[in-house]
Amino acid sequence: MRVIIVDDEPLARAVLREHLNAHADVEIVGECANGFEAVKAIAELTPDLVFLDIQMPKLDGFEVVELAGAKTHYVFVTAYDQFALRAFDVHALDYLLKPFSRERLAQALAHARARLATPVSATQGDDALRALVSDAQARHQPIERVLIRDGARVQVIPVARIDYVEAQDDYVAFFAEGRQWLKNQRMAELESQLDPKAFLRVHRSYIVNLGAIARIEPTGKDGHCAVLKSGARIPISRSGYQKVRDLMR
Amino acid sequence: MHGVFANWRAALLYLLAWLMLGLLLAAMLAVSGAGWGASLSFSVPLAFVYAYATGFSAYYVCRAYPLDRRRPLAIAAGVGMTAACAAALWCAIGAAWNSLLAALAPEGYSPVASAPVLASMFGLGVILYGLAAAVNYLLIESERVRQLETQRLQMKLMAQDAELRMLRAQVDPHFLFNSLNSVSALTSLDPAAARDMTVQLAEFFRHTLGLRADRKVTLERELQLVRHFVAIEQVRFGDRLRFEADIDPAAAQCLLAPMLLQPLVENAIKHGIGQMIDPGLVRIEATRAGSILRIRVENDVDPDGAGGDASAPGTGLGLVNVRQRLAADHGHEASAHWVRRDGRFIVELALPAVTAFEPHTATDMEGI
Repeated sequence: MRVIIVDDEPLARAVLREHLNAHADVEIVGECANGFEAVKAIAELTPDLVFLDIQMPKLDGFEVVELAGAKTHYVFVTAYDQFALRAFDVHALDYLLKPFSRERLAQALAHARARLATPVSATQGDDALRALVSDAQARHQPIERVLIRDGARVQVIPVARIDYVEAQDDYVAFFAEGRQWLKNQRMAELESQLDPKAFLRVHRSYIVNLGAIARIEPTGKDGHCAVLKSGARIPISRSGYQKVRDLMR
Repeated sequence: MHGVFANWRAALLYLLAWLMLGLLLAAMLAVSGAGWGASLSFSVPLAFVYAYATGFSAYYVCRAYPLDRRRPLAIAAGVGMTAACAAALWCAIGAAWNSLLAALAPEGYSPVASAPVLASMFGLGVILYGLAAAVNYLLIESERVRQLETQRLQMKLMAQDAELRMLRAQVDPHFLFNSLNSVSALTSLDPAAARDMTVQLAEFFRHTLGLRADRKVTLERELQLVRHFVAIEQVRFGDRLRFEADIDPAAAQCLLAPMLLQPLVENAIKHGIGQMIDPGLVRIEATRAGSILRIRVENDVDPDGAGGDASAPGTGLGLVNVRQRLAADHGHEASAHWVRRDGRFIVELALPAVTAFEPHTATDMEGI
């Protein structure tokens, strides 16, 4: 079993390493001290199992899961108690509460071995993961930043800097500071994650940052568009215009 | 139901009293020459009728003329007027009842309600109405006192609860669990370091558990606590956490509420250094300028992240808590400000500089 340890504290990694060394079938293929390294390492090393801390610099454990995907199994290792984890303890493979005992770790490993021996169908794992991630997102709604994975690199965009979002087939394109980023996500899901006070879906394919709007202009016969401070013109649908007017009132 | 009819026991007692009054009236009539049967059948139902009428109307009259908000003259006039009206009505009912009884049972009933009887009924009615009003005023007052008492108790409970929450919130329990995890790692890696860390942890908790919310401590002593805390966190974070303290000797002797700095340093580490990959510095500076004690806690923050920002979840609460405690202790004389500037998060406190040796201190101290 190929394993990666992710924790920002050297001593916490040391405990895991020491305990894992007692298990002959476990091979530690990597150790990461932050979320960026973890996303990269998981993509490159494709481990069977990741021991993942939640509180870390740059990206927290849930964000790592969101970015690194469902190809691997995760065991959360955290000092945060059951109360905080109750919402998603059914989805993650396991979680260990710091400090944990040798027996408890062995249990988690046994659990992982059993799961690896009977591979669940990809879609099933996907669903569980999606549920895990959306749970994690529900904890800090509305989202404050958008994470976009670009190969092994991770782009973090604070939502305040986003001008608008455009739906493009299975993707959404984020336009911020004159640049564009693509992310595999559904428009409706994104809309539910953004702060409704700051972002408005003005069109089937467009969500716009209200703070970025310079003015609203009529286009042709009873059509409208939003002109952004950056100069971009965003079409507004009829129902979108209704929403804008309700907001202005 | 209201007033005396609010619960059945009170209503029963009230009606019993009126039964006695009815019997008394009957006795008076009987003594003055009327037959007992006639007196009783005349006065007892009338007593009950009036009991109901006053029981309800007096309550509303008392409500309309609250003792604490109306002038006594207005109350007397209001109650007097209604009493007279009620008594007059009662007399009219009495006369009608008398005629009805006379009509229904002409052979067994000799009319009892003569003009003088009705006149004394009127006087009695006014007095009884006044009594009923007095009873209602008493009930309303006792209810008000009871409510005030409940309110006072609730406030006290809320204050205690807030204090408890404050103290609990201040030492993050995850700090303990993370530290124990570090100790667990050190036991095999570096037993001596593990022992040191256990001692630091013990010192820290002994210190915090010994604190009392109502006692002030010196800045020096608060700083001791902070140093224990930082020493423990340094074991966890390794080289990532650097700490500096620059305390003016005159400031070190000043008094402040216990656990005022600790949450600030905890925030600085958790939301500042904890969110950074590179090493960061937490720095405390304290100076005394005449009658003002200035304390500044600053830390590096991740330039990209929201870490250390007062708007970040979890950070603002501790800061607001500190501000509230300062305001509760010193009012407008103290202030707390925080700002994120040039990749650093800075908290500045200003409070009246008071030491245990200065005569105007009313506060007592804990172990110097």
